[in-house]
Amino acid sequence: MGGADRNERRRRQEAAQARLKAAGIKPERKGLSGNTLVLAIVAVVVIAAIVVGVVVTLNNRSTEAAGPAPNYPVARSGAVITAGQPSAPVTVDIYEDYLCPYCERLESAYKDQITTALNAGQIKVDYHAISILDRASSPAGYSTRAANAAICAADAGIFPAYHAELYADQPSEGSAGFSVQELTDKGTALGAGGTFGQCVAAQANSGLIQDATNTAAANPALQTNGNFGTPTVAIGGRKIDVNDSDWLQKAIAG
Amino acid sequence: MTGSRALDGIGTLARLGLAAVWITSGLLKAVDPAQTYVAVRAYDVLSRTAVGVVAGVLPWFELALGLLLLAGVGVRAVAVLSAGLLLVFLAGVTQAWVRGLSIDCGCFGGGGAVAPGQTQYVQEILRDVGFLALAAWLVVRPRTLFAAERRLVTSGLG
Repeated sequence: MGGADRNERRRRQEAAQARLKAAGIKPERKGLSGNTLVLAIVAVVVIAAIVVGVVVTLNNRSTEAAGPAPNYPVARSGAVITAGQPSAPVTVDIYEDYLCPYCERLESAYKDQITTALNAGQIKVDYHAISILDRASSPAGYSTRAANAAICAADAGIFPAYHAELYADQPSEGSAGFSVQELTDKGTALGAGGTFGQCVAAQANSGLIQDATNTAAANPALQTNGNFGTPTVAIGGRKIDVNDSDWLQKAIAG
Repeated sequence: MTGSRALDGIGTLARLGLAAVWITSGLLKAVDPAQTYVAVRAYDVLSRTAVGVVAGVLPWFELALGLLLLAGVGVRAVAVLSAGLLLVFLAGVTQAWVRGLSIDCGCFGGGGAVAPGQTQYVQEILRDVGFLALAAWLVVRPRTLFAAERRLVTSGLG
């Protein structure tokens, strides 16, 4: 477009605006400033929203791979696996199902905080493996199979790493879940030896797990609106709200 | 002139309707981060880390779109973003359906796995297509009544 054309166009625009002004009509200035301002506001609001989301997410999750290394004793009594020093002043009961996606989220959000508190002897955690989602795998039974394997892992001395592994790689509801062989291989990779594979295959603690599930489900102190679900976290035997991201610090503070 | 005003009216309803959709869905997701995480994860598309990021950002992104539409700032741009997000949702629901997953879309809270036979993919897709139509109207014709951007554009403020 030549300069003459541009001048002609500008002259016509000015003439048109003069006519509008004479007629008392305020021309809508579709100028760059107005549109740019609007788009700038959109950009600022959208970016602010994304920043809020990222901050909330980071606040609510454990730091990436480089979390604290577990350095605490593990003991087992029946289907209950106790992590941490027996003398720790605060007991946290965690009722979890290895197929439950909310349990995976609890683990990914609080694993580092829990490990740090266990290492420091501030808490001990009683892990109750629950099998309420047995029917949510296809074929049914993954919850019980994984809970059995976790007990085997406790006996083999690899529970903290094995527990983390079952969640880091958690199967989806509706899938088959890990087979006996896969559960065995995961333990072997973490250093379990000897009879670990036989233990996983035998699933000898299924009865204990079922009993623990029934007992927990029937305990009113662990229910919300009359329902028991996983994950349930209890301090001193009473269910607490883990949507409060400071639940663990509050429990430690008493 | 009356025809233009009628179209402005329809556009205004589309804008406020879509604003209500985003504000409602954003709030429901923002108040229950664990549920939102599980809902996003159930689509079985993203890595665990990416699920965490998406579940964390999505509610606030939806709220931002809703508030901008409510105020009427950058209607066309926000409608384009809305249409894009809705297309992502439609792709997510469709792939879940095609792959035979049994999930709830978690569009307005909720979400996660459901029993086979409890899925509502057809309703979810039709609903999203309806929302997409609102967004498409605003992309084509962003002029609406009571929009703050009219003032901003007119006065320029800068």
